[in-house]
Amino acid sequence: MSKLPSGSEASLESVRYALRRRADTEAGRLAEDARAQSESILAAAGAEAEEIRKTAERQGREAARTEAAGRSARIRRQARRTVLAQQEALRAELIQQVQHQAQELRSDPRYPRMLRILTERADSILGPMASVTESYKGGVNATAGSRHLDFSLPALAEQALANRAGEVPLLWAAE
Amino acid sequence: MAAHDGTQNPVLPGVPVPDPAGSRSEPALSVPRVGYSDVRELRGPLLVLGDADGVGWDEFATVAVAGQPERHGLVLEVDGDETTLQVFEGTEGLSLGGIEVRFSGRPLAVPSGPGWLGRVCNGRGEPLDGGPPVTGGAPTPVGGWPLNPVYREPPQDPVLTGISAIDALTTLVRGQKLPIFSVPGLPHLTLATQIAAQATTSSGRAFRVVFAAMGMTHADIAYIRDRLEERSAAGELVLLLNAADDPVIERILTPRIALTVAESLAYDHGSDVLVVMSDMTSYAEAVREVSAARREIPARRGYPGYLYSDLATLYERCGRVQGREGSVTIVPVLTMPAGDITHPVPDLTGYITEGQVVLDPDIDARGIYPPVDELSSLSRLMRSGAGKGRTREDHLDVAAQILSAMARARSAAELAELVGTAALSETDNAYIEFRDVVEHDLLNQGRDELRTFEQTMTRAWQALSLLPRRELNMLSAEFLDKYLPGPVGGARL
Repeated sequence: MSKLPSGSEASLESVRYALRRRADTEAGRLAEDARAQSESILAAAGAEAEEIRKTAERQGREAARTEAAGRSARIRRQARRTVLAQQEALRAELIQQVQHQAQELRSDPRYPRMLRILTERADSILGPMASVTESYKGGVNATAGSRHLDFSLPALAEQALANRAGEVPLLWAAE
Repeated sequence: MAAHDGTQNPVLPGVPVPDPAGSRSEPALSVPRVGYSDVRELRGPLLVLGDADGVGWDEFATVAVAGQPERHGLVLEVDGDETTLQVFEGTEGLSLGGIEVRFSGRPLAVPSGPGWLGRVCNGRGEPLDGGPPVTGGAPTPVGGWPLNPVYREPPQDPVLTGISAIDALTTLVRGQKLPIFSVPGLPHLTLATQIAAQATTSSGRAFRVVFAAMGMTHADIAYIRDRLEERSAAGELVLLLNAADDPVIERILTPRIALTVAESLAYDHGSDVLVVMSDMTSYAEAVREVSAARREIPARRGYPGYLYSDLATLYERCGRVQGREGSVTIVPVLTMPAGDITHPVPDLTGYITEGQVVLDPDIDARGIYPPVDELSSLSRLMRSGAGKGRTREDHLDVAAQILSAMARARSAAELAELVGTAALSETDNAYIEFRDVVEHDLLNQGRDELRTFEQTMTRAWQALSLLPRRELNMLSAEFLDKYLPGPVGGARL
C-alpha cells in the first residue's frame, strides 16, 4: 500500500515511465551486446575449429606421407635384401660347383699331366731346390725355405673364381 | 702410387678407361701367389716380413693365419728383402709362426661401375647387406689420382640440398669441396645425412650419392641407414660404413674407396656424384695412429707432417673434367676438438677446400636447426653456381644483402645488450627483428624438411621486408619492386 500523498501517483508516472524506458533500452543494449558477443565468440570458435581441423589435416597428411614413405622404404629394403640374398645364394652355389668340378679333375685322365705341369711351374717359381709334394686335396704344394706355393686344386679353383669375379653377375643379369 | 693395372686413358691421363667386358683377367696360373712365412716382427698394426722379393710399395696382401679368418694388409716399406706391411685388422692374437703372407701384385683395387649403387658395405668395400661382393667394371686402385689440372673444368651449376641455410647463403656448386666444420655434440651428422638424402642438381643427369661414414657409433650407423633408406632403395646411394670399433687402418681406406667409386660413376657413367665424408677428424686420427706405429716424426699435435698432402690427395679428387659429363662434389664433415678452428684438421682442410659451413653451439642452444653460423660460413665458388640461369636472378644480391644485414644485426644486438633495446634506433630494432626472423623462418627448418629453392627465396624476401627499404641498398629497385612482399613495393618505408 502506497504511503505517498494522494496525487503523487500521477506526478510519478512520468518518472516511472522514464525509468522503465531506460531499463528497457539498457536491457535491449545488453541483449544486443550479448548477441553480438555470442556471434563473435561463435565466429572465433568456428575459425579456431577450422584452423585446428586444417592443422590436424596437414599433420595427418604429413604423418601419413612419412608413414607411407617409411613403409615403402622398409618394403623396398626387404625386397632388395631378398634379391641380394638370392644373388649371394647363386654365387655360393657357383663356388660349390666349381670346387666340386675341380675335385673331379683328380679322376680325369689328364690329371697326371696336370700334376707334372704344376710341379714344373712350382719349380720355375721357387727354384729347383723347392720341395714339391702332392696335396691330399689334389694338385701340389711346394716349399722353398720360408716361401710356399699352394697349387692345390681348391686353391687353384678359388683363385680362378677370384680372377673371374666380374663375370659372376652374369648369373643373374641374364634373367 | 705404385704401379697399377688399370688401363690408362690416352686423352685423359689419370682417368682409367672402363672395361665394358668386366674383369677378364689372365688364367689363374699366370699369377702365382707365393706365400711368405718368414715373419720377423709384429709391432702394433705392422708386420715385418723377411725373404720376400719382387714386392712393390703399396701392394695389397692377404695374411693367412691358421684357424683364423684371413686378414688384409698394405705394403708400407720395402727394404732389401724385408717388407713392412700394415695389417688392417691389427696383429692382435698373431705369433711369429703360422702366418703366411701372399701379395696380390697390385695396390688395393675395387671394381668400378654402377654395381655399387644401392649397396651397403663396410669401410673396406665388403658387403654388409647380405649380398655378393660388389663386382662389375675393371678393378681400379683406390689411391686414385688427383685430377690433371690441365683437364680440370671450373665447378659450375648448383647442387641444391633443400636446406635453406646452404642453398641461399652458401650454395654448394657441382665439383666443389665444401666442408662442414662442427664441434662434438652438434647435429652435423643429421645435417650431412639430410644433405645426402635431399641433394640434387637440375642438370637432368643422374644424381648419385656416396656416403662414407668413418668412426661412427652403431647408433649413428643405424640412423644413417634409416635416413638414407629411400635413396638407397632407389639405387642412387652407395653406403660405406666404418664403425668406431672397426680396424682403425680400414678408416684410411674408406674415403679412398668412396672417391674411387664416385670417380667411376661420374667420369665413366656421366653422373653428378656427391660424396659425403663424415667424420674426417676420425680419419685424421687414424692417420695419426698409423703414423705413430710407423715411428714417424710427429708434427702438430702428433699428426704426421704430411697430413696436409694426405688430405689434399682426397679433397682434390673432386671436380669436373673436360669432355666428361659428370662431376664429383665433396662435403667432408669435421669435428673441431673443443671447437678449436686452429686444430690441424680444420686448419689444413681450410687451406684446401673452397669455403666452409660452420656450425655454432650458441645457435644450436637457441634451438635453430641447422645451427649454421652464416657469418663464419662461406662458399667461395657460390658465384659459379648461383644467379641468373643457375638458381635465380636475384639470388646473389639477396644473399649478399642478408649477410650484410645479419652483420649489422649482430652489432645492433651487442649494442642492445649494453644499452637496452629501448635506447636503440628504430632501424637497429628492425635489424634485430630481422635477425630473429632470418634465424627462425629462413635458416631454421625441419630435419627432414625439403625446401624448394623458390620457397627458400620467398622466406628470404619475407625477412628482408622487415627492414626499411632504404637499408636494402644491395638490391636493385627492379628486384625490390618485383620480389619484395607487401604494399608499395614492400618493406617499411
